Amino acid sequence: MDKAETEAIREVLAGHRDAYRVLMDRHFYSVSRVTFRITGNEEDAEEAAQEAFLRAYNKLPSFRQDSAFSTWIMRIAMNTAINLVERRNRDLSYHAPRIADEPSAADGTVRVADGKAGPEAALLDHEATSLRHAAMASLTPMERTAFTLRHMEDLPIAEIAAALNVPANSAKQAVFRAVAKLRRSLAPLAGGLQ
Amino acid sequence: MKHFTEEELIAYQLHDSSDEAAIRLHLEGCTECADLTESIAETLRVFSAEPVPLPDLDRNWQRLRGNLSVLTPEPRRFGFFKWSWAWPAMGVATAALVLLAVFGLHVHRTVDRRTNFAINGHGPLTTQPTDPEIANHLDSAERLLTEVNNTSGSLDDVTRDQAHKLLLKNAVYVRTAHNNGDLAEAAVLENLGRVLTTLDNEPPTSQSTWRIRVEMNTNGLLLDIRILRQNDDRTQGPKQ
Repeated sequence: MDKAETEAIREVLAGHRDAYRVLMDRHFYSVSRVTFRITGNEEDAEEAAQEAFLRAYNKLPSFRQDSAFSTWIMRIAMNTAINLVERRNRDLSYHAPRIADEPSAADGTVRVADGKAGPEAALLDHEATSLRHAAMASLTPMERTAFTLRHMEDLPIAEIAAALNVPANSAKQAVFRAVAKLRRSLAPLAGGLQ
Repeated sequence: MKHFTEEELIAYQLHDSSDEAAIRLHLEGCTECADLTESIAETLRVFSAEPVPLPDLDRNWQRLRGNLSVLTPEPRRFGFFKWSWAWPAMGVATAALVLLAVFGLHVHRTVDRRTNFAINGHGPLTTQPTDPEIANHLDSAERLLTEVNNTSGSLDDVTRDQAHKLLLKNAVYVRTAHNNGDLAEAAVLENLGRVLTTLDNEPPTSQSTWRIRVEMNTNGLLLDIRILRQNDDRTQGPKQ
């Protein structure tokens, strides 16, 4: 492990909380990037990343430094984000679309059509976005995680499997299931996929 | 002509295929597989990466900083080796552990010879359409059990809390499986329920976790769950 990180951990364990900032500076962006892919929205991504860093801090006394801190925190972050998605799935009201002036796919917000913006185009666009969201929502948290990290973040299967703490074949199968489900979900799109 | 499966073509599109050259050659002459490949490629394009927002590091640090307690390192694991009284106690404890391991495994192997329906069985476990929630449940169970299997010490509170929640849901799925007459799925879920009950109720000692790991390995519970998961996936409907 990096010397500066080893030193930071030693200082944190000696009672200097502020030394943890070194680890946060180095890894917070990559962690929140992954939590964003898993949760699908900025607010939850930050919440999951925060929680992951807090859990890692509290577990730091038992952290065996034979693996890299980055691998360890990423594994905690993925599990935290997956758990958050599962909690959100249980809370049905969370999925109701929220109205915003600027609709955002990431935040799950929609704008009420005003007629001036070409209602037909707006409707089609909204329909496609809804379909994409519904398709992603139909994936299990593990499928979504494996798919987004493999396809969007271009992480190798072995790394995803290690972070999810599952065998490589399970991670690979999760990616395949996700793509197959998404493909079937998109079939109703205009001009549909075959 | 032997066609490639959807999985093989997905792997090809994601550059995870070990047979990339053969697939490329096949696609040049097979319209059916070429159409399916194009459909997969289109799906991947539709779900291409959206830009990731950059979080405010300072704000996040300030929020986190307020929740950090002052830590102290864990006491050295073998510090007590210096104490003379520890040696006889270690001897007795080691002997007890060896006896427990030998007799525990022996009794387990001879008594628990229940038929493993999921593995020795009868093709796919079910032909009924499955509740999509069960996929979530099996995913969560697989992750939790893998975590338990790979944990060297006692389980933390979060993991135990997950086990508790899964246990509550598992009871519903066991009943549903029984009601549907799907005895193989019910058997695996009941087995899962037993491990979850142990996780939920046993005192958090490293020894109890060790016992659960042995139990899981012996019963092949994780393997059963993975097979169940794949069988569920095969019943999702025909390829489109």
